[in-house]
Amino acid sequence: MNMDLSRRAFLRTAGAGLAGTSLGALGFGEVEEAHAAAIRPFKLAATTETRNTCTYCSVACGILLYSKGSLAKGEKAEIIHVEGDPDHPTNRGTLCPKGAALLDMVRAETRLQSPRIRKAGSDKFERISWDEALDRVVRHMKADRDANFVAKNKDGVTVNRWTTTGFLAASATTNETAFATYKVVRSAGILVFDNQARV
Amino acid sequence: MSDFGVPSPDPTAIGDTSTPPFARLPDPETLFARRADRFRTLAKGADLGPYLDFLGRLCDVQDAVQDGLPDVPPPPPEVIARAKAHAMPPIDRTAAVADESFMAIFDRLVARAREVDMPDAARAALARVADADATARVAMAEAVVANRIPVEALAEHVFAAAAVQVHFARLAAALDATRLVPVGEGACPACGGPPVSSMVVGWPGAHGNRFCVCSTCRTAWNHVRVKCCLCGETKGISYREIEGGDGVVKAEVCEACAAQVKILYQVKDPDLDPVADDVATLALDIKMRDEGIRRGGVDPFLIGW
Repeated sequence: MNMDLSRRAFLRTAGAGLAGTSLGALGFGEVEEAHAAAIRPFKLAATTETRNTCTYCSVACGILLYSKGSLAKGEKAEIIHVEGDPDHPTNRGTLCPKGAALLDMVRAETRLQSPRIRKAGSDKFERISWDEALDRVVRHMKADRDANFVAKNKDGVTVNRWTTTGFLAASATTNETAFATYKVVRSAGILVFDNQARV
Repeated sequence: MSDFGVPSPDPTAIGDTSTPPFARLPDPETLFARRADRFRTLAKGADLGPYLDFLGRLCDVQDAVQDGLPDVPPPPPEVIARAKAHAMPPIDRTAAVADESFMAIFDRLVARAREVDMPDAARAALARVADADATARVAMAEAVVANRIPVEALAEHVFAAAAVQVHFARLAAALDATRLVPVGEGACPACGGPPVSSMVVGWPGAHGNRFCVCSTCRTAWNHVRVKCCLCGETKGISYREIEGGDGVVKAEVCEACAAQVKILYQVKDPDLDPVADDVATLALDIKMRDEGIRRGGVDPFLIGW
């Protein structure tokens, strides 16, 4: 097929006196030329469709993100539409109401883009660094676990549970990450836990 | 009213769950008539109007030649079983055009096409086809199914291709869609032909799924979205449309092949036809070629682009 096409392209560039297209050969060459001339001022718009995973819960539904603008050409790409991926075995094209509203979350001006803290007694959130945020989270978790860890139940049976902290983890990680997350969280005794390894 | 407020049995089923069939066979009895209508609709006020009108009338002929033709028997079970075992299409492309029933269709098509209004160049080509003997006609049909149409005789082969399309659509319609198996990237599971374009359909049970449409027999087969219809590559796929367009017909570009195959969002416009709308959006092919991207969809009506 390719060889055939290149031969035709060669004939055209070589200026051979042959009609090189179906239109030309059938006597519609003028129509074809007029059309080619008429569309000259128009430009092409680049769009993409990208597979991704819904961020909301452990079900990990497949989504298709439609965007406009080509990053490869140095343009700014913008998501214009989100829909369920009809080829994804988990959701087969469907989305729950939260997933169906993903576009609004992506574009929301109030979307959380960095760690923030509202200190006790304050009425507003302040931006903090990731290091600071993670240090605080760890310190609070440790204090909470020390205070509320249940090693044995009232019958004296060892249960090692920590029910006062919950852990919500990712929905689009590798199996290995999901496994490691599960091990770390469950080893700490956390019961209130969700990630994709649950499903 | 007594059911009011009772939870439905499966609250998880939100929306139209896609369970697409692997393949959908053509219905030759309505296929060409509908395509003719679509060509006529598209022809109105278009730059390409005269050409689209001509193709519409050619589709009318494709529809009319089937009147009174005997039913096509399905291939013998052993042929189907062998094809399935080796992941091969059940229709043998070369053998099919050497068949008597194909010659009958070709004869009728050539006779009926004479009544169609067409430019002198096309009429002269049709006369050459009419004068050709059986051997020459088979050779033409073989060139069509092998996708090796000689550039010196494009117009003659457009008529041959029209006859091949009718014959193959009838052959494919006699198959059992549930027994078709994938035969490779960019190849029709019924006849092995390359795709003309692909469609994102809104069929019940296949909402949003994409189907490639065979350029020869019009069988539609399920093909994952955002994946090249020619080579199966999933990286470097992007889409182009004429700026300001409504996103109904786009060119799906594969970086690996440096080629594009049109994708028709039938889910947005149910009237879209995989052939008629492909021809009518020639502008996209012209623009893409200017960017160095060749046309990957195969269509005898658009050879040379």
